[in-house]
Amino acid sequence: MTTATTPLGFVDISLDGQPVRVPAGTSVFDAARVNGINIPTLCHLQNQTPVGVCRLCVVDTGARVLAASCVRPVEPGMKVVTNSEKVVNARKTLLELLMSDHPWPCARQQNSGDCELETLAKAAGASPSRFAKRTVARGKDDSSLAIAVDHDACILCDRCIRACDEVKSNFVLGRMGKGYSAGIAFDLNSPMGDSTCISCGECMVSCPTGALTNKNVVGTVIAAGPDAQGLQAEDLLQIPVFNGVSGTFLELNRGAIVKHRFRKDQIICREGEFGSTAFYILEGKAKVSISTPMAHVKTQGGAKGFFKRLTSTLVAREEDQREEEARDRTIPIDASVDLAYGNPVAELGPGDLFGEMTCMNFYPRSATVIAQSDVVAFEMLRNVLDIMLKNKTFRAQLDHTYRRRALENHLRGVPMFAGLSSEFIEHLKKSVELQRYAPGQVIVQQGTPADSFYLVRIGFVKVSENYPGGELVLAYLSRGDYFGEIGLLGGGFRTATCTALDHVELVRISGDDFRDMVALFASVRIGLEAVAAERRAANQQRMHMVHNVPIDQFLSQGLMEAQSLLILDLENCTRCDACVNACADAHDGITRLVRDGLRFDQYLVATSCRQCRDPLCMVGCPVGSIRRRNSLEVIIEDWCIGCGLCAQNCPYGNINLHPFEVLVDDPGRTGSKKTAIRQKATSCDLCMNLKEPSCVYACPHDAAHRVDPRTFFATMLGQGSAK
Amino acid sequence: MRMDQTQRGWALAALAILVSSAVVYVFYALDAPQGPRGGSIIGLTFGAVGFAFMIFSALLGARKRVPTWRVGRAQAWMRGHLWLGLLALPLILFHGGFLFGGLLTRVLMWLLMITVLSGVFGAGLQHYIPPVMTSDVRLETIYDEIGRVRTLLREEADRAVESLCGSLGLPKTSDQQGRRAGGFTALRTMAASAVPLRTSAAVSAGASAAVAAAPEIILLSAEESAPLRRFYLDEMRLFLERSKQRGQRLGDAAKASSVFAGLRTLLPAAAHVTLADLEDICDEARQLTRQERLHHWLHGWLLLHIPLSLALILLGAIHAVMALRY
Repeated sequence: MTTATTPLGFVDISLDGQPVRVPAGTSVFDAARVNGINIPTLCHLQNQTPVGVCRLCVVDTGARVLAASCVRPVEPGMKVVTNSEKVVNARKTLLELLMSDHPWPCARQQNSGDCELETLAKAAGASPSRFAKRTVARGKDDSSLAIAVDHDACILCDRCIRACDEVKSNFVLGRMGKGYSAGIAFDLNSPMGDSTCISCGECMVSCPTGALTNKNVVGTVIAAGPDAQGLQAEDLLQIPVFNGVSGTFLELNRGAIVKHRFRKDQIICREGEFGSTAFYILEGKAKVSISTPMAHVKTQGGAKGFFKRLTSTLVAREEDQREEEARDRTIPIDASVDLAYGNPVAELGPGDLFGEMTCMNFYPRSATVIAQSDVVAFEMLRNVLDIMLKNKTFRAQLDHTYRRRALENHLRGVPMFAGLSSEFIEHLKKSVELQRYAPGQVIVQQGTPADSFYLVRIGFVKVSENYPGGELVLAYLSRGDYFGEIGLLGGGFRTATCTALDHVELVRISGDDFRDMVALFASVRIGLEAVAAERRAANQQRMHMVHNVPIDQFLSQGLMEAQSLLILDLENCTRCDACVNACADAHDGITRLVRDGLRFDQYLVATSCRQCRDPLCMVGCPVGSIRRRNSLEVIIEDWCIGCGLCAQNCPYGNINLHPFEVLVDDPGRTGSKKTAIRQKATSCDLCMNLKEPSCVYACPHDAAHRVDPRTFFATMLGQGSAK
Repeated sequence: MRMDQTQRGWALAALAILVSSAVVYVFYALDAPQGPRGGSIIGLTFGAVGFAFMIFSALLGARKRVPTWRVGRAQAWMRGHLWLGLLALPLILFHGGFLFGGLLTRVLMWLLMITVLSGVFGAGLQHYIPPVMTSDVRLETIYDEIGRVRTLLREEADRAVESLCGSLGLPKTSDQQGRRAGGFTALRTMAASAVPLRTSAAVSAGASAAVAAAPEIILLSAEESAPLRRFYLDEMRLFLERSKQRGQRLGDAAKASSVFAGLRTLLPAAAHVTLADLEDICDEARQLTRQERLHHWLHGWLLLHIPLSLALILLGAIHAVMALRY
């Protein structure tokens, strides 16, 4: 039908008998759409690459078979019929087949009545299906806190997969299985909640059926008590902090935000509990605290004579002052305030948000919050908090509270900033910028110009350096840590890449302010330069190792990252377990090592703390109680709340939770105490107060050794020196 | 403990003690008009030193019971146990003038000889077996966990076979994770749902590279899968349940290899990856059986050595009291 008058780059076709001119390359589906003809489809969305898998958009182009219009480009002279009897019957059969494999009504249809498949099937008279239903269920996945997955309702249209990959570039979703067992999968078929899914919701809004639905659609709401009040979207929109939040979103997430009234002395949340909500105080005052920090776990012996058995005991801070303790004057918690070590109690008031890390990153509650007066607070789920944090009004209010109450503490928490004058702190409080980063987002890129200094306010940041073979992690930074000084003090370029590991919030000090600060305060400059030099030297040493260690296995087992390994020479070891028994004997009967693990040559790398250079265990601690001493030792501070996250994070299974008996207030009898068991994370302490670790000392066969892997394996790694 | 260069100091010291004792004994035996006697000063000295060595050797057991006591490295105690325990035999022979005497002393001498010989035998085993176990049992686990690992292997094999043959109706017995004393997990089992899957559809749908690298799932028809089903239910599963039973084809590496080679000719190529997994599972089960046997050799001799040592110390003390008093 292209005629001499058809402009270049356009094509003339006939659409249901009407002549139509469209740009060349346009799909038949789009040609119909722009000309007001609606072709039904399930797998196609305008913002996604068409794949033509549902075949519902078939049209008659005069060819032998019907064509899927979403993937069929127009051709000159093409005669397209979109609604012939043949086409309509084909669509109806397809809908019947899809409906036979679909729970009817699905969750989406039940709750909002907008399941696209069921709507189309009803319109086509294809419901209920005349075909037999599926007999074997494909199952549901309720592991995500934000999105419910019903594999039975999935029609394999792949809209969610393309949404995840093409629209959001998350690459979490894929397909698994074949035939009846085919379905969508997260990562390597992990449950959604355990996968790397960041719950952005793009898959959910792309899904045409009830396969992926907002959690509250299938009934997940915050547990409501007698003093809790669920709120309608229109009620919420009347409250100033919800100004600007999408009403549709609030409507969709009905039940994901609840208004609570807590009576005086009522517990709002408890430290160590796993939760998924944050609280925003509207009225009243609350006390935030952590239990009195438990004293150090110390292995000691010999006090009552030569033969005294070693035991792990709790030693008061006064009796066992750690060298560098003075600098940690505050305990970071998941609120807008830090707690003083000596008296870990603070007050929260109207406008304060707490539980943000718990809600966004699913970390355990870092502190106990008790109402000091009658308190009115909103409790919200992650999806609501996330959208609230994107709201400028709410955000500005939180930032103001933070600047007012906690920023000074954070700045002064950096040892070398302790000498800053009050005027300069005031200046910084006004001039710093508060920034948020999503998990995986790059904060600064190696090689780019350095223009700012950053202080970590919330979350964990990975510092890494690129080298020809890949990426080398240099450090993990948590609340109170800082980065960016090397670039500003040195050559003006970033020497490493810093990436947000989870929901991260940073305090950004501009390059100009930073330069003013180091010019005005010599102590700050000296301190920062010393730290920068120390970090540079450590990084260079690591990179030197990367270039010189030839053995893949050594790297893949993480041995290069270890500073101290417990190795068992298997050619000497008679598997008598004397090492395990000695460890258990030295630590209240609970061993901190397992005679099992990876082998490197003839050596077994036993499951015992490696004192890693790259200590993953430190990522996620809600109260920052696991940290590194200036020596090799990774220590767990007194205020550990026993949540067990470090034990989960250690890739080598080398941290355990150790029960200790402590005296606590007896709620039944005022003024009296009772014995309770409290968990505290423990890892190998290298029997630091003894000349030699007990496991090594007790090995009768010269098989157990605590070694620096780089020195010990030097010969094997071809570095020349003997082990 | 390995008998290597590190034993040199103790070996030389023991040799020096032996040679000097032998010289003293020879002069003493030649000078004594009635021949060497246990009751003489020199005889008593030999007896006392020999018995002291025995007591020191026996204290190794006590030392192991208190591993954290700072009373010398356990390694030094073990070396002392080996060499001084060995020296006890010639010293006691010098004490008795190579005569076994009455009933009690005769029993004592035999006990001493058997104890020392069993110790030497044990030392030999502890010298040779650890390297053998290290090389033969690459997938060694904690001895007490062997039963549990076997159960996990059986379940893994069940899953692998069911992925090809469909449901076999087999019971699932283990928990998802093995817990050990101390509250931590020694064995990290992979949940069935975590087995990576891949289909060509996933690749075309833009699945991530990690997904694309995983093996595919293929369900064979009943006819195709019959040889595997038969082999698994009639032979392999029995082997996994009772791998210690002798005479099984899968208990022998060469025969097992030939069995799996035969199966490969009967099953379609798509099933060969799973067959390789099953072969690996059999190999691991075989290694665990080997570990158990070696473990029994490594520690079984102590069942003889320890009671004899205790009896020796007890009877030796009775002999000393009786001889000195009466």
